Amino acid sequence: MEMDLDKISNLPGHVIDQILSQLSIKEAVKTSILSSKWRFKWATLPHLVFDNQCFPVSSQDQTIVKNKLVSIVDHVLLLHNGPIYKFKLSHRDLLGITDIDRWILHLSRCSIKEFVLEIWKGQRYKMPSSLFLCQNLVHLELFNCFLKPPLTFKGFGSLKSLDLQHVTLAQDVFERLISSCPLLERLTLMNFDGFAHLNINAPNLQYFDIGGVFEDISFENTSHLAVVAIGLYVNVGDDQKQVYSNSSNLLKFFVHLPLIRRLEVQSYFLKYLAVGTLPGRLPIPCVNLNFLSLRINFNDAEEVLTALCLLRSSPNLQELEILARPEELAAVAKFINFQEDDHSSFTFNQLQLVKIFGISGTQRELNFINLVLLTSPVLERMTVKPASIDGSWELVKELLRFRRASTIAEVIYLDP
Amino acid sequence: MSEFDMAVIQPEMIKSYIWLQTADGSIQQVEQEVAMFCPMICHEIIQKGMGSSKTYAISLPQRVNPCMLSLILDYCRFHQVTGRSNKERKSFDEKFIRMDTKRLCELTSAADSLQLKPLVDLTSRALARVIEGKTPEEIREIFHLPDDLTEEEKLEPLKNSTDDPRIRLLNRLYARKRKELKEREHLKEVDDNWTCHMFQNVETEEEHVDDRSVEDLLSFINGGNGDSKVLKTSKSKKKNRRRKEQQKNASVDESIESQGKDSNGLNSVCNGTGVDKLHPHPGETSTLPDVEDDTFPHKVEFDDGDIDDEIDPALKEKIDREVEDFARRLNSDWPERMQEILSLGQEGRPVNENGSLRRYAST
Repeated sequence: MEMDLDKISNLPGHVIDQILSQLSIKEAVKTSILSSKWRFKWATLPHLVFDNQCFPVSSQDQTIVKNKLVSIVDHVLLLHNGPIYKFKLSHRDLLGITDIDRWILHLSRCSIKEFVLEIWKGQRYKMPSSLFLCQNLVHLELFNCFLKPPLTFKGFGSLKSLDLQHVTLAQDVFERLISSCPLLERLTLMNFDGFAHLNINAPNLQYFDIGGVFEDISFENTSHLAVVAIGLYVNVGDDQKQVYSNSSNLLKFFVHLPLIRRLEVQSYFLKYLAVGTLPGRLPIPCVNLNFLSLRINFNDAEEVLTALCLLRSSPNLQELEILARPEELAAVAKFINFQEDDHSSFTFNQLQLVKIFGISGTQRELNFINLVLLTSPVLERMTVKPASIDGSWELVKELLRFRRASTIAEVIYLDP
Repeated sequence: MSEFDMAVIQPEMIKSYIWLQTADGSIQQVEQEVAMFCPMICHEIIQKGMGSSKTYAISLPQRVNPCMLSLILDYCRFHQVTGRSNKERKSFDEKFIRMDTKRLCELTSAADSLQLKPLVDLTSRALARVIEGKTPEEIREIFHLPDDLTEEEKLEPLKNSTDDPRIRLLNRLYARKRKELKEREHLKEVDDNWTCHMFQNVETEEEHVDDRSVEDLLSFINGGNGDSKVLKTSKSKKKNRRRKEQQKNASVDESIESQGKDSNGLNSVCNGTGVDKLHPHPGETSTLPDVEDDTFPHKVEFDDGDIDDEIDPALKEKIDREVEDFARRLNSDWPERMQEILSLGQEGRPVNENGSLRRYAST
């Protein structure tokens, strides 16, 4: 009998949901014509994803793409039955269209928890006010959008993860957004405009990843912050340096990051940190820091000193990554004393992996490598890769000569 | 056996066994650490102290038959060992999942009833892979699903999700047409010579295509170019009349009836009864699509499944707007128009807005 043979239709609803959510939305909806039992099984899917895979639209004509996409999303939303926990709209050919407003309004009535919107073409899409009504949001991800919440917006009380890339928002909007999401744990900001001062006040923040153009950054009440990656995409001007020369940016930066575990200093951020009077080492060492990645310009003395300060303050470092940024030579070639008076007290007792990429073989770079080799007794592997083939042979000769504190260290040279 | 004995799990034994009973009554012994990998069994042991002896064997849910149980235990036996690498586990899973679809479904069901989420994840992924990329016929065959949906049910409402929005419009119009057809049939049964007669005429005319543009129709309705319109075939006019009546009835029901009563007694007879007879459900706003129907060249057929994809959405909007305008105008102008028509009707002028009036006048 057919009934006995059909083992799938009577599986519990949540199991069917799980099976159908692994298919594209198109395939899931297609199951509605299989049999009478399957007619509306797809309609309770809690995750809806509309992207390039959900329907192949091979057309460059924007009207056709738009019509098709709007038709599909309208239909699915209208026929859908039940809560929608995750909604993702990310079609490569879609411009920002006002139909999105309508869909967001619908979602705000469906207890949406995860919302991902990526507008790949066209200008910033202005998010409708109904987005700010979605009080159940746990994850919000926007690409190429413009946010201007209404004045009555009190924040997303449940938001744990926020990912904004290529977005525009005003300074006060940004601050209000961050401070009004008390449960925020992850924050990603890439290529933003409209604000330049980042004051991050987020008591539960654990992961912070930004890359963009800003003037200053400070943390407040971020005692749980463990993973930080910051990229400053614009060169810090010399005039700025004079303004802030009394207070060290490096010190300010680390004041509120006691638990920091992983730090990536990208693009020009090290130059930003270098501004101000540098101490020999930080007042409170970063005892939890076990991964450090620095993009550094070895020709800039201040940057090198900042890096040294940071390194001296990270006794428990396990993995170090140095990415050299080839820049013009600094106006004044300053001599750097790589060794402190009490340098013997500074060793990396846990440092096992080191990567040094993009160097040119200058004396400073070599001194730096030498220092690392001398201060890492448990080093297992150091990988060195120069920026170009020029002078690489000299580099190798020097590397060969350096003393190593670790008996098990391998120094690997990679061709550029 | 004392309660104490039952509740205690003997840690000193190197290998302790748990007793499990499947729905068919058969009981078996299983190593404790393997069985405990299933949350449901774990719960039974810890919270309820079951399973330590044959008489107090843990009853497994009905969805777990001995065959499935042995598969699940194989899975648990492998994965509960802590030292394994991710690669090893993945490789085991890939091999484990190779079975026919029927067993895969049973296994999913059994794993779900034992709350063994990793196995449910694995099997549901495998089932999704089975479904992916296959035609509905293939899927039905694999899973033995009955093909018990009618063709119509299959088409609605999903056909539109992959089609042009114009198809949506057409289906909507099509649905209304079906409703219309039902109404027509209902009205046929009404034993009133006058309405029957009127309708029969209209029906035959509906078969013909109305090629006139909307503008023409509207100007005709408004009595603008009355003379030129006289030359047109009578069937068009009658169609017009029916449409107008329907429109009036649906959208301006109450106002007409009250106005009808105010003016001519005859009028109220025509309108009053006409209204009721024409539309058993006066509250319906089904007129707009009717107008659309009549203006689109291909849409007049009543055959099922004959949908032509010729409608331009821009045109549709234009028509919608014009029809709304017309309805509004009709609504506001009605009293004056009535007077006008009454005075003209006696002259035998063919152009007017109330077809039934004309009819009355000529008979």
